[in-house]
Amino acid sequence: MTKPESPDARIFPVDTRFQKMARRKGGVPRDKAIREAQAKVEEAKPQFDEWLDGALAEFAALIGSAQAGTAEPGWIADANSHSRQLRDSAAILGFELIAFIAGSLCEILDSIEAGGECNMASIACHFDALMLARKAGYRHLRPEQVPELTKGLHRVVKRVTV
Amino acid sequence: MADPEMNLRDLVILVADPSSYISLLIHSMLRGFGSNKVLEVRNSVGVLQALTGQRIDIMICDLWLPPHGGLSLTRAIRRKVDNEHRTMPILMMSNDARETTIKRARDAGSNMVIAKPISPAALYDRLTWIAFNPRKFVDTETYFGPDRRFKIEGYPGGVGRRKSDQEALQVAEESGPALAQNDIDSLFSAVRTGQD
Repeated sequence: MTKPESPDARIFPVDTRFQKMARRKGGVPRDKAIREAQAKVEEAKPQFDEWLDGALAEFAALIGSAQAGTAEPGWIADANSHSRQLRDSAAILGFELIAFIAGSLCEILDSIEAGGECNMASIACHFDALMLARKAGYRHLRPEQVPELTKGLHRVVKRVTV
Repeated sequence: MADPEMNLRDLVILVADPSSYISLLIHSMLRGFGSNKVLEVRNSVGVLQALTGQRIDIMICDLWLPPHGGLSLTRAIRRKVDNEHRTMPILMMSNDARETTIKRARDAGSNMVIAKPISPAALYDRLTWIAFNPRKFVDTETYFGPDRRFKIEGYPGGVGRRKSDQEALQVAEESGPALAQNDIDSLFSAVRTGQD
């Protein structure tokens, strides 16, 4: 919603230090910068396993406490935050299956946060799928290479989301 | 026009993201771009501590930054009058690319939004756009931040430009949770006195 006009607006130019310095000569050409950035991301790839294990362990603890009825009130938001981080980092690194499963889980958790039913079985089956996808034999697969899994998750999401 | 070459050397870049690993990936991309001064924080308190302790040249902030989110934080930074970082460029990262979210980020005072998952090319292009297309700032009763009348006509090349100045100034109404001035003052003063 916008107001049409603000007669009292003060408008002034700003050229920040970032802008001045980033325009200095001696910068990195776009293609080279992107190539180097991709190489640096590759260097960070080995640390993904350790981070993933930690993220899944936290996720497992959240599910466990929810199933036991001892979860904190904001546990869905926490679980959704973990899922988003998992989806985004896996996507950056090209682990498409993990990104797909985490994205599917985000849809369910978004729906619950929006007032939908909290179906623990649907969350648990996504967690199981993530545990499978983290294994070396599945890590580099694309979703279309495991159609039964992806179709199954699609069905679950369709059934439980609002 | 040749692609502009961005020089990030000696610029202090603050990456604010709750995930240590995503921060690491963004940090890695920035190093690939030639940056040598990148700071990482996990929440708004970390941001405010960084801003009160040193000069930050640009902030790359997650929309879901705990505890109140990147939009509230951006509004707080833009509204605080005696704040040397008030006009600092803010690039908002969001895994929700819906138009309403983009508008909320814009109306909070973000310079630009980048969708997660972030690719090196997308990050480079947005930083270049911010660097090579400085926008005027607008100060009204309800908004302080970059002029929202702009159009991006493509990356790279920095060809985004504002619409004609003949157009009436559009000032969005506040939407979503916002911090009151007292809350903003408290946040900054708590950080200054070392309280979290």
